[in-house]
Amino acid sequence: MREAIVIALAAVGGIFSLTAAVGIVRMPDVYCRIQCGSMTTTMGALPLLAALVIGEGPLTSYGSRALLVAALLLVLNPAAAHALARAAYKTGVPLWPGAVTDQVRDQASGGARGEGP
Amino acid sequence: MTGGYETVAIGEIAIAALLLIRLAAGPTISDRVVALNAISTQAAVAVFYFAAFARRTVYLDVPLWLASFSYLGAIVWSRYLERELL
Repeated sequence: MREAIVIALAAVGGIFSLTAAVGIVRMPDVYCRIQCGSMTTTMGALPLLAALVIGEGPLTSYGSRALLVAALLLVLNPAAAHALARAAYKTGVPLWPGAVTDQVRDQASGGARGEGP
Repeated sequence: MTGGYETVAIGEIAIAALLLIRLAAGPTISDRVVALNAISTQAAVAVFYFAAFARRTVYLDVPLWLASFSYLGAIVWSRYLERELL
Protein backbone atom coordinates (compact mmCIF):
# COMPACT_ATOMS: atom_id res chain seq x y z
CA MET A 1 0.00 0.00 0.00
CA ARG A 2 2.75 2.43 0.96
CA GLU A 3 4.76 1.43 -2.08
CA ALA A 4 1.77 2.14 -4.34
CA ILE A 5 1.46 5.65 -2.89
CA VAL A 6 5.18 6.21 -3.38
CA ILE A 7 5.05 5.04 -6.98
CA ALA A 8 1.98 7.19 -7.73
CA LEU A 9 3.58 10.31 -6.25
CA ALA A 10 6.86 9.69 -8.07
CA ALA A 11 4.99 9.18 -11.36
CA VAL A 12 3.07 12.43 -10.89
CA GLY A 13 6.27 14.30 -10.09
CA GLY A 14 8.17 12.83 -13.01
CA ILE A 15 5.42 13.53 -15.52
CA PHE A 16 5.00 17.11 -14.34
CA SER A 17 8.77 17.65 -14.37
CA LEU A 18 8.92 16.44 -17.95
CA THR A 19 6.01 18.63 -19.09
CA ALA A 20 7.48 21.66 -17.33
CA ALA A 21 10.84 21.07 -19.01
CA VAL A 22 9.18 20.79 -22.41
CA GLY A 23 7.27 23.98 -21.61
CA ILE A 24 10.45 25.84 -20.71
CA VAL A 25 12.01 24.77 -24.00
CA ARG A 26 8.95 25.42 -26.17
CA MET A 27 7.17 28.45 -24.68
CA PRO A 28 7.40 31.66 -26.73
CA ASP A 29 8.00 34.16 -23.97
CA VAL A 30 10.04 34.75 -20.81
CA TYR A 31 6.94 35.12 -18.67
CA CYS A 32 5.39 31.85 -19.89
CA ARG A 33 8.73 30.19 -19.23
CA ILE A 34 8.75 31.57 -15.69
CA GLN A 35 5.34 30.01 -15.16
CA CYS A 36 6.62 26.65 -16.38
CA GLY A 37 9.69 26.99 -14.21
CA SER A 38 7.51 27.51 -11.17
CA MET A 39 5.58 24.39 -12.13
CA THR A 40 8.85 22.47 -12.08
CA THR A 41 9.06 23.07 -8.36
CA THR A 42 5.42 23.11 -7.33
CA MET A 43 4.15 20.04 -9.15
CA GLY A 44 7.44 18.35 -10.02
CA ALA A 45 9.83 18.52 -7.11
CA LEU A 46 7.33 18.57 -4.25
CA PRO A 47 5.55 15.25 -5.12
CA LEU A 48 8.95 13.63 -5.67
CA LEU A 49 10.17 14.79 -2.27
CA ALA A 50 6.86 13.72 -0.71
CA ALA A 51 7.37 10.28 -2.27
CA LEU A 52 10.79 10.10 -0.65
CA VAL A 53 9.34 11.18 2.70
CA ILE A 54 6.58 8.56 2.54
CA GLY A 55 8.90 5.85 1.27
CA GLU A 56 11.59 6.36 3.89
CA GLY A 57 9.50 7.62 6.75
CA PRO A 58 9.56 11.23 7.97
CA LEU A 59 11.87 10.56 10.92
CA THR A 60 14.73 8.93 9.05
CA SER A 61 17.61 11.09 7.87
CA TYR A 62 16.47 10.90 4.23
CA GLY A 63 12.86 11.79 4.98
CA SER A 64 13.67 14.63 7.36
CA ARG A 65 16.07 16.24 4.90
CA ALA A 66 13.55 15.85 2.08
CA LEU A 67 10.85 17.45 4.23
CA LEU A 68 13.18 20.36 5.04
CA VAL A 69 14.03 20.94 1.38
CA ALA A 70 10.34 20.71 0.42
CA ALA A 71 9.44 23.42 2.94
CA LEU A 72 12.36 25.53 1.73
CA LEU A 73 11.29 25.21 -1.92
CA LEU A 74 7.70 26.02 -1.02
CA VAL A 75 8.81 29.30 0.57
CA LEU A 76 11.55 30.34 -1.84
CA ASN A 77 10.05 29.40 -5.20
CA PRO A 78 7.35 32.14 -5.42
CA ALA A 79 9.84 34.76 -4.24
CA ALA A 80 12.37 33.79 -6.89
CA ALA A 81 9.75 33.60 -9.66
CA HIS A 82 8.34 37.00 -8.74
CA ALA A 83 11.78 38.59 -8.60
CA LEU A 84 12.67 37.10 -11.97
CA ALA A 85 9.46 38.28 -13.65
CA ARG A 86 9.88 41.76 -12.19
CA ALA A 87 13.49 41.96 -13.33
CA ALA A 88 12.59 40.72 -16.81
CA TYR A 89 9.83 43.32 -17.13
CA LYS A 90 12.02 46.14 -15.88
CA THR A 91 14.86 45.29 -18.23
CA GLY A 92 12.43 45.54 -21.13
CA VAL A 93 12.17 41.93 -22.26
CA PRO A 94 9.41 42.06 -24.89
CA LEU A 95 6.15 40.18 -24.50
CA TRP A 96 5.07 37.58 -26.99
CA PRO A 97 3.43 39.39 -29.96
CA GLY A 98 0.25 37.38 -29.45
CA ALA A 99 -0.18 38.50 -25.86
CA VAL A 100 -3.58 40.09 -25.35
CA THR A 101 -2.97 42.33 -22.35
CA ASP A 102 -0.24 44.08 -20.36
CA GLN A 103 -1.79 45.19 -17.11
CA VAL A 104 1.35 46.83 -15.76
CA ARG A 105 1.57 49.15 -18.76
CA ASP A 106 -2.17 49.87 -18.69
CA GLN A 107 -2.03 50.72 -15.01
CA ALA A 108 1.01 52.94 -15.49
CA SER A 109 -0.47 54.85 -18.44
CA GLY A 110 -3.95 55.20 -16.93
CA GLY A 111 -2.78 56.03 -13.42
CA ALA A 112 -2.72 59.32 -11.54
CA ARG A 113 0.63 60.43 -12.88
CA GLY A 114 -0.35 59.68 -16.43
CA GLU A 115 3.05 58.80 -17.80
CA GLY A 116 4.00 55.69 -19.67
CA PRO A 117 6.83 53.37 -18.77
CA MET B 1 12.85 -0.68 -0.41
CA THR B 2 15.51 0.74 -2.68
CA GLY B 3 13.99 -0.36 -5.99
CA GLY B 4 13.11 2.41 -8.40
CA TYR B 5 15.06 5.21 -6.79
CA GLU B 6 17.74 5.09 -9.46
CA THR B 7 15.07 5.33 -12.17
CA VAL B 8 13.83 8.63 -10.76
CA ALA B 9 17.39 9.95 -10.42
CA ILE B 10 18.28 9.10 -14.02
CA GLY B 11 14.98 10.54 -15.27
CA GLU B 12 15.60 13.82 -13.46
CA ILE B 13 19.09 14.03 -14.95
CA ALA B 14 17.59 13.47 -18.41
CA ILE B 15 15.06 16.26 -17.81
CA ALA B 16 17.87 18.58 -16.70
CA ALA B 17 19.73 17.72 -19.89
CA LEU B 18 16.61 18.70 -21.86
CA LEU B 19 16.62 22.06 -20.05
CA LEU B 20 20.19 22.68 -21.19
CA ILE B 21 18.73 23.53 -24.63
CA ARG B 22 17.02 26.60 -23.20
CA LEU B 23 20.12 27.45 -21.17
CA ALA B 24 22.19 27.46 -24.34
CA ALA B 25 19.69 29.12 -26.67
CA GLY B 26 17.88 31.58 -24.41
CA PRO B 27 17.53 34.93 -26.17
CA THR B 28 17.86 36.98 -22.98
CA ILE B 29 19.59 36.54 -19.64
CA SER B 30 16.23 36.04 -17.93
CA ASP B 31 15.59 32.91 -20.01
CA ARG B 32 18.91 31.49 -18.95
CA VAL B 33 18.26 32.27 -15.30
CA VAL B 34 14.86 30.52 -15.48
CA ALA B 35 16.44 27.45 -17.07
CA LEU B 36 19.29 27.42 -14.56
CA ASN B 37 16.84 27.64 -11.68
CA ALA B 38 14.84 24.68 -12.98
CA ILE B 39 18.04 22.70 -13.62
CA SER B 40 19.24 23.21 -10.07
CA THR B 41 15.89 22.12 -8.65
CA GLN B 42 15.97 18.94 -10.76
CA ALA B 43 19.56 18.33 -9.73
CA ALA B 44 18.68 18.64 -6.04
CA VAL B 45 15.89 16.08 -6.40
CA ALA B 46 18.18 13.79 -8.40
CA VAL B 47 20.88 13.92 -5.72
CA PHE B 48 18.25 13.14 -3.09
CA TYR B 49 17.13 10.06 -4.96
CA PHE B 50 20.72 9.02 -5.61
CA ALA B 51 21.46 9.29 -1.90
CA ALA B 52 18.45 7.11 -1.13
CA PHE B 53 19.57 4.64 -3.81
CA ALA B 54 23.18 4.45 -2.66
CA ARG B 55 22.28 4.44 1.05
CA ARG B 56 24.77 7.18 1.83
CA THR B 57 23.65 9.77 4.37
CA VAL B 58 26.63 12.00 3.52
CA TYR B 59 25.14 12.90 0.14
CA LEU B 60 22.08 14.44 1.77
CA ASP B 61 23.87 17.68 2.57
CA VAL B 62 24.45 18.34 -1.12
CA PRO B 63 20.79 18.92 -2.22
CA LEU B 64 20.10 20.92 0.92
CA TRP B 65 22.75 23.49 0.07
CA LEU B 66 22.05 23.22 -3.65
CA ALA B 67 18.37 24.08 -3.22
CA SER B 68 18.93 26.97 -0.83
CA PHE B 69 21.80 28.56 -2.72
CA SER B 70 20.29 28.14 -6.17
CA TYR B 71 17.31 30.23 -5.10
CA LEU B 72 19.61 32.77 -3.51
CA GLY B 73 21.43 32.84 -6.85
CA ALA B 74 18.21 33.46 -8.78
CA ILE B 75 17.24 36.33 -6.50
CA VAL B 76 20.71 37.87 -6.76
CA TRP B 77 20.67 37.55 -10.57
CA SER B 78 17.31 39.28 -10.78
CA ARG B 79 18.53 42.04 -8.49
CA TYR B 80 21.56 42.62 -10.69
CA LEU B 81 19.30 42.68 -13.76
CA GLU B 82 16.87 45.09 -12.17
CA ARG B 83 19.53 47.59 -11.13
CA GLU B 84 21.17 47.33 -14.55
CA LEU B 85 24.50 46.26 -13.17
CA LEU B 86 25.08 43.80 -15.98
